[in-house]
Amino acid sequence: MLDLIVKAVAYSSCIGIGAAAIALIYSATKTFNFAHASLVSWGMYVMFAGTYLLGYTPYLYIPFTILVGAALGLVIYGGVNRWLLKAKASEINLMMSTLGADLVLFGFLNIYSDYLLQTYKIPAKYFVLEVKDVVFKIGNVNIRLIGIIAPLILVTIVILLHMFLTKTKIGIAMRASIENPDLASVSGVNIDLTYVLAWLIGGGLATLSGGLLSLIVTGYTAAGMTMIVSFFAGAIVGGLYSIFGSLLGGLLVGLSEFLGITLLASIAGGWIYAYRPAIPLAALAITLLLKPEGLAGFFVKVRE
Amino acid sequence: MIPPEILLIIINFAIGLIITISLNIEVGLLNIPQFGRLLAVIIGAIVAAAVPGRILAVMLGYPWGVEYADHMYNFKIVAGINKVLANNPLLSIGIFILTLIIAALLGGLIGYLCAYPAIRLKLAYLGITLLAFGDLVVTIAWNYEPLVGGTTGVFVIDPFVFTGPAMRFTIAAFITLIVALALYVYAELLVRSPYGRMLKAIRDSEIAAGIYGKDIVKAKKQILIIGGAMAAVAGALWALFTGSMKAVTYTRLQWTFWPWAFMMLGGVGNNLGIFIGVLIYTIVRFLIIVYKGVISTIVGVSPEWLEYILVGLLIIIIVLFRPQGLLPEKPTYSIPTRKIVSIIKRVEEEGGK
Repeated sequence: MLDLIVKAVAYSSCIGIGAAAIALIYSATKTFNFAHASLVSWGMYVMFAGTYLLGYTPYLYIPFTILVGAALGLVIYGGVNRWLLKAKASEINLMMSTLGADLVLFGFLNIYSDYLLQTYKIPAKYFVLEVKDVVFKIGNVNIRLIGIIAPLILVTIVILLHMFLTKTKIGIAMRASIENPDLASVSGVNIDLTYVLAWLIGGGLATLSGGLLSLIVTGYTAAGMTMIVSFFAGAIVGGLYSIFGSLLGGLLVGLSEFLGITLLASIAGGWIYAYRPAIPLAALAITLLLKPEGLAGFFVKVRE
Repeated sequence: MIPPEILLIIINFAIGLIITISLNIEVGLLNIPQFGRLLAVIIGAIVAAAVPGRILAVMLGYPWGVEYADHMYNFKIVAGINKVLANNPLLSIGIFILTLIIAALLGGLIGYLCAYPAIRLKLAYLGITLLAFGDLVVTIAWNYEPLVGGTTGVFVIDPFVFTGPAMRFTIAAFITLIVALALYVYAELLVRSPYGRMLKAIRDSEIAAGIYGKDIVKAKKQILIIGGAMAAVAGALWALFTGSMKAVTYTRLQWTFWPWAFMMLGGVGNNLGIFIGVLIYTIVRFLIIVYKGVISTIVGVSPEWLEYILVGLLIIIIVLFRPQGLLPEKPTYSIPTRKIVSIIKRVEEEGGK
């Protein structure tokens, strides 16, 4: 039971980080980021390539996942999003543009994975980095290090983001421009810079969640696409406009996916495991029907 | 005799056209972010795989319950049914039409259910909800074996089998194309009708249309039902054409995002543009498949991934430089342009007096 809980906590921390990334980009730029899927997969492949090609422990490559994601986020912003925001494109067009970016990233990731497979003969189609993780024993139970590292990183992100958004000048400016872009720009806030920061941090967090997930689930190029519903559900359960609400929402969705299905299986039988993808959907449906403003609605009064 | 390459283009074009037209009715006419097109499509495919086969199995005395979808029995049952259908054109045509009708009804029902979130949620929220519902149905079809065989899939009965092995695919492709063209004409009539203009008015300004007494909720429900029914017909036609149904082949990418790309390429809101968009894309995709070897030796990468990159770039370029698509939406007139010109002339003359 303990190992299951540890794994559930690790998994849901990753979903939480990813959901926060979606919420950050959405609240800052009104862009629902479909490219999140491929960013997550890219994070997985950074960890994989580093571990297999250079050796050492996978944890060494966590900073690199963030760097790669931030760079990709910057490319998406500079290449696509910036011009659409300037042209005041509709929300659907903003979404579609990130879908295009997602397909491009997916294509390049697959080319990279083919390259890894052919050149270095490493299993780049499907990989399980879990075996490279550090295992230690608590009593009779084997615990993997990711069960501690992932929540730790989550807490660090919460603290850092909170400090950034409340204590630094640029963070406060960012919050202001999220609340009211026109007013913020009149007061001299560089809106463009806040967009850049949103994509930098959002991209970095997306790949970070992917990198951490590669130590929990099987990695493959379409892994991000498969899991994207969990991330989206987390972001919407959290409220989509609130970064920390979405982080919490992601945690909740991840936990209910892992523990909820175990609970259901103990009641209904093992056949129900196959329907695990239905749980984020149920969370999504319940939230949208009962409390559309999400978890954030419990803490923050949304002004019309 | 038509070469199989052309048939491949025809069938892909026909299916793509139906789905994209159905998407355009929802997105282009009413601005509903339908990111769950897959949902109605797979419902149609499930109907084609599960319903007509079972009806015939009951009629012919084969097992039709759980055994029908079991991979140990399914191929035998379907082979037996196909033997009967081969000598019975009337029954084949009847069952073909019945399948499409049931698919359309269930697709319409799905559209009606989608209306519940659609009239309450906005843009991103709605899009993600619909997308998630689509994935849910795939998960169920993939895991619940009694429905369509789960991971092993099922064979679909072949209502075209009576035309003989030589002509079967040709006739099936052309019948699909005829259905697609009929639905295209229907969509075009819908856009030009007073009802279509009302939809565009709602799309352009819900408040203004509401003030003029247009029932927005009812319009959204109706459009989601029509769109769902059309997409389900496409799913059923595809399953009947291919002769098998496996839930995992119904991916979000192929049945939701690709049609979105066609639609944006052709021009949102313009049926003719979509016709051209789907045609261009089908031919380009076919050329990529045919010249796979050549492309991969020149570029050095697998053409499959090249396709993703190209479509992705295409979407980005369209959104950035030509958001209205190749053929932008034109205002549709309820009376011929000649008459409008003559009216303008008359008004001007009267004004001159």
